[in-house]
Amino acid sequence: MMETPSLYRAVKNAAKSFLAITPMLLGVVLMIGLFDTLVSEAALRSVFSGNPLYDTLIGAAAGSISAGQPVASYVIGGELRDSGISMYAVSAFIVSWVTIGFVQLPLERRLFGLRFMLQRNILAFIFALIIAVASVATLRLFS
Amino acid sequence: MSPKRGAPVKVSGIYFLALVLLAYLLLFGTTPDKALAALAESWQVLAKLLPALIVVIVLLGLFNYFFNPKKMARFLGSESGLRGWLIAVAGGILSHGPAYIWFPLLSDLRGHGTKMGLIAAFIYVRAIKLPWIPLMVEYFGWPFTIIISLYLIVGGVVQGLLIDLFDRWVFVDGERPR
Repeated sequence: MMETPSLYRAVKNAAKSFLAITPMLLGVVLMIGLFDTLVSEAALRSVFSGNPLYDTLIGAAAGSISAGQPVASYVIGGELRDSGISMYAVSAFIVSWVTIGFVQLPLERRLFGLRFMLQRNILAFIFALIIAVASVATLRLFS
Repeated sequence: MSPKRGAPVKVSGIYFLALVLLAYLLLFGTTPDKALAALAESWQVLAKLLPALIVVIVLLGLFNYFFNPKKMARFLGSESGLRGWLIAVAGGILSHGPAYIWFPLLSDLRGHGTKMGLIAAFIYVRAIKLPWIPLMVEYFGWPFTIIISLYLIVGGVVQGLLIDLFDRWVFVDGERPR
């Protein structure tokens, strides 16, 4: 029989979970400081051209190879947007960050098979592009 | 998942943090003004994060209290038709922690006959992180957060349907060998 935790203990456990990822979070925040200081807007623009299709591809690829808490993708995505990167790229980045995980591919393959792993991750990449474009287009439609 | 009662907290990211600190040390050695500017920038980012992080901890605690993998297994294991899709989507949204933590449970569900499409949808809609929504709103605003979340739900279901469709093309009875 599984023990039901008290609400207090559940919140305390959540705080402990956070404590566990504090070094990762601090590392990300410090990386952003470095990124903001050392990487100029001109350098960023050289990677993200302003072409919505190309930007979205680069954003999705960058998000796919990244790993970590979603908070990191929001923070980095927000910083990229503030640096003038298109929302197409930022959206693709944050979607692929949480839907595609290079580090978890071996486990996914072992538990679900190569075929499912390939199907799911290829579809997830394609949908990161579609959702990014659709979300930004919809946002512009209503704003 | 949350740590068990009394269990030591397994801290992750130490090496990553050490590498970043090493980069700062090297920068201090070469261009101290840039290193100080980077630290000041980091502090600004952290200050922006802190209020939302407190909200996130409370929300995570509430999810720990109301949902656990065993409960989710019961809900998702009884899939069928529209109800199955609704359960997969709701389960994906309500589950938290890294995706790979849920893989063994999902593999178990597969062994009990759950369609692969439902598993794919569950994994995909986990992109909607309810506890992190305050932070997403802080950075991108409510309209963007709502719109992208809705598209993620639709995207998850469409992907699940496509994977089931692929299965029907490849496997004679539409079911993968287990």
